[in-house]
Amino acid sequence: MAERLLEAIGLNAAYAGYDGREVQAVDNCSVYIDEGEILGVAGESGCGKSTLGAVLSLTTRPPLYVKSGTLRIDGKEQELGHGVKIPREWRGEVVSLLPQGALNSLSYTAKISSLVVDVMRAHDPSIKKDEALDRARDRMKAVGLPPRALDSYPHQLSGGMKQRVITIISTLLNPRLLIADEPTSALDVSSQRALVEMLREMLNQRIMAGVIFITHDLPLLKSISDRIAVMYAGQIVEVGAAETIAERPWHPYSAALLNAVLAPEPETLTKKVFAIQGSPPSLVAPPPGCRFHPRCGLEMDICSEKEPSPRGDHMRYSKCWWTQQNPTTPINLDDVLGFKAKIDDVRDESLVAAIDHVAGPVVTAEAPTKEVS
Amino acid sequence: MGLGRYLARKSLWYLGALVVALLLNFYLPRLVPGNPVDAIVANLTMGGGVSGDAAKVIHENFMREFGLDQPLWKQFFIYVNQLLHGNLGTSFAQYPASVNTLVGQALPWSILLQLPAILVGWTLGNLLGALAAFKGGWFDRGAFVGSLLFSSMPYYCLAILLLYGFAVKAEIFPTGGAYPMGTFPEWSWSFISSAMPYFWLPFLSLVLIFIGGQAVGMRSMAIYELGSDYVNYGRGLGLKDSTIVRYIFRNAMLPQITGLALSIGGLVGGALVTELVFSYPGVGYLLFNAISNKDYPVIQAITVIITSAVLVANFAVEVLYGFIDPRIRATQGGDKS
Repeated sequence: MAERLLEAIGLNAAYAGYDGREVQAVDNCSVYIDEGEILGVAGESGCGKSTLGAVLSLTTRPPLYVKSGTLRIDGKEQELGHGVKIPREWRGEVVSLLPQGALNSLSYTAKISSLVVDVMRAHDPSIKKDEALDRARDRMKAVGLPPRALDSYPHQLSGGMKQRVITIISTLLNPRLLIADEPTSALDVSSQRALVEMLREMLNQRIMAGVIFITHDLPLLKSISDRIAVMYAGQIVEVGAAETIAERPWHPYSAALLNAVLAPEPETLTKKVFAIQGSPPSLVAPPPGCRFHPRCGLEMDICSEKEPSPRGDHMRYSKCWWTQQNPTTPINLDDVLGFKAKIDDVRDESLVAAIDHVAGPVVTAEAPTKEVS
Repeated sequence: MGLGRYLARKSLWYLGALVVALLLNFYLPRLVPGNPVDAIVANLTMGGGVSGDAAKVIHENFMREFGLDQPLWKQFFIYVNQLLHGNLGTSFAQYPASVNTLVGQALPWSILLQLPAILVGWTLGNLLGALAAFKGGWFDRGAFVGSLLFSSMPYYCLAILLLYGFAVKAEIFPTGGAYPMGTFPEWSWSFISSAMPYFWLPFLSLVLIFIGGQAVGMRSMAIYELGSDYVNYGRGLGLKDSTIVRYIFRNAMLPQITGLALSIGGLVGGALVTELVFSYPGVGYLLFNAISNKDYPVIQAITVIITSAVLVANFAVEVLYGFIDPRIRATQGGDKS
């Protein structure tokens, strides 16, 4: 069995509002990763997945504060929380952040080479300039990047190049864990593929021991991840192997979220894609009990009363009362979405049209009849 | 497009601006109603005893001597011709003193007063602003409010307050002038040390305002840069604070350098009101007297110096910017990437 790489236990992080209120964007989340694994993090906008990335990569900045939590990597332990000073060596060497390169992640007045030297020197002051540049050059050659990119300024690189250069820099110190926060969001499909293959290759070469990959791009997530963590309203509601979670989800939200994807497969033509009713809850005052219950067709009495306890182990679990009581029954998506019932109830032409619009393939199927009429 | 061509094209633009400025410098003072010679003749004949005819002859003589009897366009070409030969003409009010001498006497005082004020104010102001942004908290609040107070106060108000407080009430410093009566300007230690007390008040009044303005600008630039993605990424890579501050400083510096170059360009114009408040014999003081006497050659001389200095400073900024900001260099030089 693979060795455990990361145990992040009981992470709590909140944004401090101007009026003194707190928005708890990461609520008691625990993340476990084995060596050589890629964990994908999925969820809607505002579910706290990027906040989780900032907490894990130790790059939280006001108004975001880590309230509590423990990081354990390779037997090294670090408490997180108010006023805790994290040794500088942890950043870049133990955990490292891979941000979205289209953002201004590189200072526009510094050459790539000078950042490379600064990063290497920050962790080993004795290293010579040439040694630092040689390492970067070797890494770039290995992934087929022209080494002359080192002598460039950020504005001279294309988006795809910049993202790969940033990946090289993020992994320069052989971090144990790489936290990739939406690295592919601004890239076209071929650049996305190049980046994903590059990450896989680096993982195989043991440059880093594990990756947390945060994205809203579900097809990409399915293809890159070994396991997937699904977040909803600041909490991890389900974790499991990528195929299992797609085929046999243990949480109605995962079922609905992962269904909202059109994979280029034959059955897609006949598949209906439906939106989840309603919108994610406000994190200022999240719903009691299970946070998904107001939008869930499987809702039971207990769901709004008590927060579900996890079912399963660290590597595969879910938090749902319904699946705990029906462990062998597969989740029926129509029941979760309550789609038909809602449409019959509403009788609102504009809403029906809007739902038709979301449900793309259904419209195509009906198109000929519309022409006739 | 090469860098050389870029510079040549820019130079042409600046030359055009200079010609237009010369025309305005020449024409605008002449729009002020009244004839400078009238005032001179009135002064000469004040005691009476000069007959009307004699006064008329004197008047015509002066008109001829100053070239004011020529048509305007001819006067302009005479002026430009003189200018090309490095001759700024003869002062009307202090006839027959040459304008070159007058400006030559006033300019060093203005430069010696303002250059230290600008350099010290710029350096301290930027350091203060960057420090305030980085430290935050009470230090930031104090520095920010103080800077805002000084930067929004008209510089002559501070000059008058300082003069009242430290020269009139407390009598620590002399009330005006640049050196003690009875001494003569020269490069000797005894003269410089005797002139130093006269230097501090006008210097302080300029430098405090300058520190305030620079600090306010630098602080907001640095706060903006502090929140940027590359700072967060740098922290995530475990960079030292000093390294990150270096990145921030370099990027936040860009607009500040423009301010420095433009202030240096403008300093030859003298700090007009400061020099008046402290009776400081600089260019501003000279210009003020020249305007009240309609002393065209002196006005023209000073405005032409100010114009050229500002143009040169602007040009320098454009070239300098390219060296600091690679993005601008790329558009200037047609950099291949």
